[in-house]
Formats: sequence, C-alpha cells, structure tokens
Amino acid sequence: MENQHLKRRSLLTGVAAVAAATALPRVARAAIATPFSFDLEPPLVDRAEFVEWMAKNRGEDRAFLEQRYDRLQAMVERNDVWDDAVKRAFMLTPREAFVQKINRSHSYDHNFLDIGYGVTISGPHLVGRMTNSLDLKLGDKVLEIGTGSGYQSAVLAHLTDKVWSIEIIKPLAERTRGTYDQLIAAGYDEFKAIQTKSDDGYYGWEEFAPFDKIIVTCGIDHVPPPLLKQLTPNGVMLVPVGPPGAQRVLKIVKGIEADGSTRIARTDIYNGRIVPFVPFRKLDGDRISGTHNG
Amino acid sequence: MPAMPAARSGALLYVAVGLLAGAVIALQIAVMRIFAAGNWAHFGSFIVSIAMLGVGISSTVMCVRQPWFARHWRGVASAALLAFGPVAVGANLLAQQLPFNAIFLIADSSQKWRLAANFVLYLLPFMVGSLFLGAVFLETRREFARVYFADLAGCGLCGLAMLGGMWVFTPEYLILVPLALWLLAGVAWAATLASVRLLLGILLCAALAVSAHTWLADTLGLTRLAVSEYKGVSYAERFPDARRVYERATPFGHLEVYASSYLHFAPGLSDNAALNLPEMPENAYLGLYIDGDGPIGILRDLPPAQTAYFDYLPTTLPFALRPKAEVFVVQFGGGLSTAGALRKGATRVTVADGNPAVLAAFRDDDYLKRFTGDLLGQPRVEVVDQDGRVFLSHTARRFDVIDLSLADSAGLSSPGGFAIAEKYNYTREAMETYMRALRDDGVLAVTLWNKEEPPKSVLRLYATMVEAARARGEPALERAFFVVSSYLSTATVLYRPGGFTPEETAVLSARARALSFDEIQVPGVHPDTSGLAAEMAAYRAQLFGARGDAPAGEDGEAFGAEGGEAPAVMPSVLLARAAWQALLVGDWPAFAREYVYDLHALSNQRPYFAAYLRPSDLPRVLDRLDQLQDEWGYVLVWATLAIACCAGAVLVALPAVFGWRGLLARCPGKLGTLAYFACLGAGYIMVEVVLISHFVLALSNATVSATVLITGMLVFSGLGSLVADRLLDRAAQVLPVVFVAIAVLLITYGLALDHALAWVGTLPYGWRLPCCFLLILPPAFLMGMPMPMGMTWLARLGKEQMFLWAWGVNGCLSVIGAALVPLLATSFGLGSALVLAGALYLLALPAFRALLRPMTPA
Repeated sequence: MENQHLKRRSLLTGVAAVAAATALPRVARAAIATPFSFDLEPPLVDRAEFVEWMAKNRGEDRAFLEQRYDRLQAMVERNDVWDDAVKRAFMLTPREAFVQKINRSHSYDHNFLDIGYGVTISGPHLVGRMTNSLDLKLGDKVLEIGTGSGYQSAVLAHLTDKVWSIEIIKPLAERTRGTYDQLIAAGYDEFKAIQTKSDDGYYGWEEFAPFDKIIVTCGIDHVPPPLLKQLTPNGVMLVPVGPPGAQRVLKIVKGIEADGSTRIARTDIYNGRIVPFVPFRKLDGDRISGTHNG
Repeated sequence: MPAMPAARSGALLYVAVGLLAGAVIALQIAVMRIFAAGNWAHFGSFIVSIAMLGVGISSTVMCVRQPWFARHWRGVASAALLAFGPVAVGANLLAQQLPFNAIFLIADSSQKWRLAANFVLYLLPFMVGSLFLGAVFLETRREFARVYFADLAGCGLCGLAMLGGMWVFTPEYLILVPLALWLLAGVAWAATLASVRLLLGILLCAALAVSAHTWLADTLGLTRLAVSEYKGVSYAERFPDARRVYERATPFGHLEVYASSYLHFAPGLSDNAALNLPEMPENAYLGLYIDGDGPIGILRDLPPAQTAYFDYLPTTLPFALRPKAEVFVVQFGGGLSTAGALRKGATRVTVADGNPAVLAAFRDDDYLKRFTGDLLGQPRVEVVDQDGRVFLSHTARRFDVIDLSLADSAGLSSPGGFAIAEKYNYTREAMETYMRALRDDGVLAVTLWNKEEPPKSVLRLYATMVEAARARGEPALERAFFVVSSYLSTATVLYRPGGFTPEETAVLSARARALSFDEIQVPGVHPDTSGLAAEMAAYRAQLFGARGDAPAGEDGEAFGAEGGEAPAVMPSVLLARAAWQALLVGDWPAFAREYVYDLHALSNQRPYFAAYLRPSDLPRVLDRLDQLQDEWGYVLVWATLAIACCAGAVLVALPAVFGWRGLLARCPGKLGTLAYFACLGAGYIMVEVVLISHFVLALSNATVSATVLITGMLVFSGLGSLVADRLLDRAAQVLPVVFVAIAVLLITYGLALDHALAWVGTLPYGWRLPCCFLLILPPAFLMGMPMPMGMTWLARLGKEQMFLWAWGVNGCLSVIGAALVPLLATSFGLGSALVLAGALYLLALPAFRALLRPMTPA
C-alpha cells in the first residue's frame, strides 16, 4: 500500500508539482541553505534578527517573514500559542506557499481564506491554537482528515516526523501534494514526513493506525467511530465545528479510567469561548501604527 | 400629446401593463429563486429589495424631466418594453459571471464589490420595467385607477403563473417565465399602438434574449447559475463516485438526491458507539439537497446488524421507555427518525411532512423506493400528506411517542448563515399541540442541534417547551422534563405529561450515562449552578468585550493556555442546567435578561430561531460581524434597511432639489402629499410581507403562502382600485371611512390573525385556500383604493410632477417597509407589523387633505 502510495506520489509529482511550481511564491523556489532538523532554532526574540536568520538560512522572502513574525506576536499575546516548539513550527512554516496566489498578500491576516473547492485555509490563530492543543511530541503519529491547503500538516511536520493526511476532494488533494513536492524539491525536507492520499477520511487510515493525535477538519454530523477506534488510549482528537469564522473546536480525549475502561471526554480548546481576534498590528519600527485588517 | 386610447386599444393597453407588471414581479421571484439555489436565499431577498429601488430611480428621473417624458411617452414606453427582456437576461448572465461569496464578505474586500455589482446589474431590468410603467402611468394619469387595476391584477395573476413555472423549470431556466410574460406584454403593446414594426421588434428582442440565455451561454461557456462552492450540493458533486439519482423542480424547492459512498449520517451519535460497535454501515446513504442546501440523510434498507448504531442516537432515547410504541414523526425529512422508530420496535409509525415534494419523491420514484425498501409503503407506516403540526392539531388520535428531530436542518456548518425563517413547528402553540396529542404516558421527544457557543437555539427551545407545558396546566412541571445533550452536537428534550416516574427517570439516566450524554435536566436533581454569574459575565465579555482582551479564567489565567485546565463542567452545560432550574423553579425572566442573547420563547407571533442579537446591542458588534456569520440573515435585513433609507432619502430629495423652486413651488401641500404616499408605500408592503410569513401557519409552505398572498392581495387591491375609479368624485368623503376601516381591520388582524390561521390550518387543504383568500379580501380590497385615488387627484389638480414623485416615494418606502417587517416581527411579533401598518393608514388620512390643496396660480 505504501509502495503504491509512493508510486502515485511520484506520478503526481510530475503533474501537479509542475503546475504548482508556477504558482508558488519565490520563497518556495529559493535555495535552502540550512535544511530542517528538529533542533533547528531560529531566533524568535528579535524581529530583525529572525528575518535575517531566516533569509540567510531558509532563503525566504523578507516581507513575508516580517508579517509572520508580527502575526506570531499577536498569537502569543492572545494565547493562541504558548509552547515554544509550536512557536518555532509556526515560524518555520511558509504559510504563503499554501495560500492561493490571489490571496498571497493576505497570507498572514487573521482571516481564513478561500482556497477553492469550497474549502478555506484556517486563520493562523486557529491553526496555532489547534496545534498547541494537540500537545504533539516528536515521534507522535498524527492523522489529519481534510488536508485542504496542506498548511496544518506542514506546521505539524515541524513537531513530529509522522504525519498522515487524507483529503476527500481529489483535485485538491493532488494540488496540495504538488505543493508539498515542490517545497520538498526546493529543500523543505521536513515535508517528506507528510504522507497524503485522496480518500474518504471517515474510515481513517487503518494501515497506519493507531494514531496519537487526529485532527478532523471536514464537516460531519457526528464524530466518526472508525476514527475514535484508531485513536490510541489517551489520544486526542480535534474537530472544528460550525461555520468558518465562528468555529468552535471540539477536543475529544480518549481517556482510560483506573479500571481500564475507556472514557471519552468532550471539551473545547477555547473552553467554550469563541475568541475575538486580535488585529494584526503593523509594526513601524517598535511602534504599533495600525492594523492590517480593515 | 396623443389622445387617450380608444376602447379596444385601451383594453389592450391594460393587458400590456398587466403583463409587464407581472413580468417584473416574476423576475423578482426568479432572481430570489436563483439566489436560493446558487447562493443563499436571504442574499436574494437583500439584492431584490435593493434592486426594487430601480422603481424609485426611474420615477425620480422621470419626475425631474417630466415635460420631456410627457412628450415622448410612446417612444420611452416602447423602447423600455423592447429592452426589458434583453436587459433582464444580460444582467442576470453578467451577475452570474460575478458571483460573490457570502462567507468572505468580511475577510475579502473584493466580495463587497461583487455584491455591489450584483445590485447594479439586477437594478437595471427593474429600472427599465418601471420606465415603461411610469411612462404609461404618466400618459393615463387621469384614469390612473383603471391602469393601476391592470398593474395589480397582472402582478397577482402572473405570480400565479410563476408558481406554475416552478413545476416546469429548474432555477437555472426560471427566468424564461418572466421572459414569456414580457413577450406577451410586447405583443399586446404592439397591438395597442397597431405597429407591425414594434411587433417585429419585440419578436426579435425575444429571440435575442432567449437565445442569449440558452445557446449563447452554452457557446461562450457562460454560467447560467453560479452555485457557490460552499453550498452542500457542491461538496456532493465533488465526491469521486457521486452521481445524481433524482432531480425535480418544484415550487417547494429544487430537489436533488445524490448517491456516494462518501456520505455518512448519524446525527448526534454517541462517542461510545466507537467502543461498542464492530462496524458502521458502508455505502448506506443518499444525500437529499433542497435548493442546494443539505445534505438530509436518506438511509438504505439495511439488515438489523447494520442499524445497531441507532441505539447510540439521541433520537431513539424515548424507545427505552416505550418499546412498542405508536409513533408520530412530525417531519419526515430523509426518513432517519422513521427508520429508527421501526428499528426500535414501533407498532405503527405515522409520518408527516409539510413539503409534499419530499413525500412525493419517496413514494413515486423507483430508485428511492428500492433504496429505502419503500419506507413509506411499509405496512407499519402511514403517511399524512400535510404538516405534522397541523395534522395533530385536529386529530383525535393519541400517540405513545411524538418525534420532532432536527427538522429543517442538515446540521453541518451553514456558511451563508441562517435566514429569518418561520419555524412554526417549534412554537409554543405547536408544542402544546404535540403535548395534547400524547397518550397519558406518552413521550414527546424534540432534538435540536447544539452547536452554538454561546448557546442560543437550544435555550429558546427549552423556554418554549416549558412555556407550553405551563400553558396547558402541567401539574408536575418539575418532573415532566428529561434533557440530555452532547457537547457541540445535539440536545434532546423529553416531555411526559404528569411527570416521569422515578423508575422511568432511572432508566433514562442509565441510558444517558451509557451513551456519555450530558444530563442537563433530570427530575429530582438540582445541579450546582453557583458558577452561573461568572459564566454569564464571561459570555458577555466574549461577545462585547474589547478586542484583544484575552479570555481569562477566574484567576486571570488564559483559558486553554498552558496550565489553564479545562473545567469539570463545560460553561454551556452549566448554563443549560441553570437555565432549566430558572425555567422550572427559578426566576427565568431575570436569567433571560442577564443573558448575552435574546431568549424569548418561540410563538406563532415570533416563530424564529434567528435574531438573537438584541437590536440595542447591534452597535456594539459592528466591528466584529465576522463572529456573527450564523446571523447573516438578520444582519442583512438591517443593512437593507440602512441602504434603502439612504437611497430612498436621496431619491426623494432629488426632485425637490431640482424642482422645489420651479413647478413644485406651485404645488401646495407637498410634504403632506409625500407623507401620504410614503404611508401607503410602507403600509401596503408591510401588510403583504407580514401576511406571507403569517399565512405559512395555515398553508404550511412558504412558497404556497407567498403565491396566495401575492395573487390575493394584488388582485383584490386591483378590484379595489377599479371601484375607487367610480368613487373619485367623492374621495374626500369616502377615503376617511376607507382609512379607518383599513386601520381597524389591520389592528384586529394584528391581534387575532394567528388564532384564525391556526384554525384554518385544521381544515382540509381545499378549504384552506378559499378561507385564506377570504381573510385577505377585506383589507386588500380597501387598500387598493387610496393609491389610485391619490394619484388621480394629483393628476386632476394638474400636479404632474408630484404625480411621478409620489409614485417614486411609494416605491422607495416599499423597500423600507419590506425590510422593517422582519425586524419588527423578530422583536415584537408579526402582529406588531400589522398594527404599525394600520397606524400608517390612519396617518395617511390627514395627509390626504394636504394632497387635495389646489395648485397655486402661476
């Protein structure tokens, strides 16, 4: 199955990646001087230092890097990320490579954006909060249902080396696979950890189960039992619920009681609160001079 | 100036006016249907409302340049008539190439421009149509009442034709109906003017318009109806193995059924199903989509082993108490409740549905019958061809279990937000009906989606059900309800008359725990709700707090952040438990007052799961509308009102700016005249719109209600205008009586109509229609008189410029009045709009005296 998958992947590389190459921003085509490793530590304390380091080591666009840095500050302020590893993952992921060309200048806006096929790329704050709530550790196996733009799995790939992602919409799955392959070709080795397929995510990915963490991002009227089954004991599943822009994120923990029985607990990663967003502050030197959001 | 039309050509002129006015209203309905199918219905209402300002624009232009239009009325009318069809088709095709995406209205500024482009494009045909009508009105102003009769009767009858058209055409081709009416109007107009050239012109234009919509669109690859990628049906179409197995165009919606192995339905399924079930059924569902919205699940006829998961659905809870039940399913939907009841051993299941097209699909279509094992034809199943609520209100039968599960809702996200739609199945009166139809130990089970945070719909449901039980004098209120919910999934309320016995409570509690549902209300249990005040405050801070305020726990720690442990009881669970305590034994009004949303119970006067935001709170959320995406329908009505008021003010003011010192200076009583037509414009449309909403109560279907109202109101008003023509000379004596009679009727209707309609609803359908027409007749007939009387008197007094201005003011206020109705209805009840309309007609009485003041000599 894996071989088949890899064969298909290489086939897709030939088709979708070529198409994607023309669409990807400069950042993805630049040479990567320093390949990713789990001990890579870009400086996160100073904006200029971060931009300089990333431009030098990862060859990314300075304007996007500045926006990425500013967005992280807003997310930290708002407690959408609190773990250093997640902050680092966010800062190492070129979100602009997963956004449609027409929206690229809005890559680091708070808003969710359209990526075609009736699918959105979630806003950075939601991705940050979901990633942090997963409490992912290196070596954890994580399954994403609803690859979409591929951004969520891309962030996860900076936290663990075992990521599987399933997308139900075939052309979207192929396009996103192309994006990953293009990024891999450009030197983003970390995305080799992401295995993708186009299939019905309802049944999970039995072949690689169980998973320590599962993220479900497709609309459904119940939590699919096959996915709960493929979750390890004490595993965590996240399910965004509701219309884009006003989503709650259901967190399901498959707990094991003292007597060995299973107990499934539902909470919300905002503990029942939809959080008003923090406008993206434009930094003019050290001064806040307005917002990027209308 | 040409002489007035001779008798024969005069009759043809009336036919032309009637048909073109009908084509305009048919286009209005077509555009709304196009939006319902491709986008979301409330955006259609929004655009059509604004587009109707086209009437105001045309009349303003004609008013300012009145002498020119008076001289060239034939040319203007003929050109406008010729242009109407091509402009309607062109505008629609162009608008469909520029679809806007509702869910990005806030996030993506280009969407606002697309929306604006849609306004402008759809404005054009209405402007052109009203240019024709305005030119004819101007020419025939001295016998306006008869032309006005033709206008109203044409609108009414063509509305009926449009209903017929919906059986034939899918929304994509529905525009062909207004085109056909326009073509007939054109032929009648050519005959009126006895012009062969005009006849050829209209035939040529019709060929052009129809071929543009069909052949040209195909050739150029133009989209005739742009369906949003975010509509439910768009997702189904993208499943690799999806195929459409059923399609039917009906006035009750465009029905489509898709088959795909990717469809899965188990609304509210307990998480414990995963731990106990060996498998979930595969390839077992079809998805039903109505106007592209859905899916509503249709279940394959499965062997018992594969339906074991029904035991884990909240909707089967009542069968834990009543295993051999006689069941009534209030809304069939896709049949999941019916299949569940049969699976759980029901001895007999009576199913109803207010949408006859859905029942017809399941009964008549071979594929659906085979797939569902002919669910509706099973020996244990009896089908009732009407709304379940209505059937129960007049049957003597009693049931062990009455089920109302997830009606009118697919339960998935609704990216376009919810329209302000009447949900008469969930009102206090409906709940009383269900409760009355239970056997002494029967169980009413109502399940609703519980996916809102802060919760709102479920709290309104709770309040409604308790109010209903109290209204019917439930002696054991505290023991009569058992409620469970699953976080961000569903909530189920069970009601048993006389209260659940301790044994029954124990059975339900054990079942709820086995399914890991949260117990919200259990007879005899008083949960700790001491954290309520803090939660109320936190919800207020969430919605109204300063942006950037981190949500903080009691000790200032951020919720969800590192170290911020989740509380033992979720805020919404605590809130729901506290709500039940307040409803049953506490101070519910105080609870509702404190809560962040309006929690009034649903009633036949206010039947809405919408407009949760209190109008007074609206200014506080204008900077965070992105959080209110599920309230788009409500927010858009406010936007319509604001735009209509601004545009209306400009349009009303323009003639004043251009003519105040000129011709208008010699027209005394200008303000009074404007007030007169403003009152009539707002009053008339308010009555029409509010009655469409209200009559759904008796007719069970919004489309039928709209058709009956449009036809009834306009035809009866047309007759009124015809009678007014004979009473013109005595207008000063007759109109005061008419106004007072209208006001008395409307205020009486406002106070008592829901009772009358609830009674009409109990009659056989064949009787309901004449009864509804009878109810419409008195006010509609009288309301047809003031407008032509006022207009004709303006003409008789030589106030030509005022004549068109008055028509424009009337049109602008129509838009404002239409937007006001849902706002009044959601805040004060449907009756309040009727009472206000009655008051407006009273106000028009003194204004008429101002209108009658003669022109000042030059």
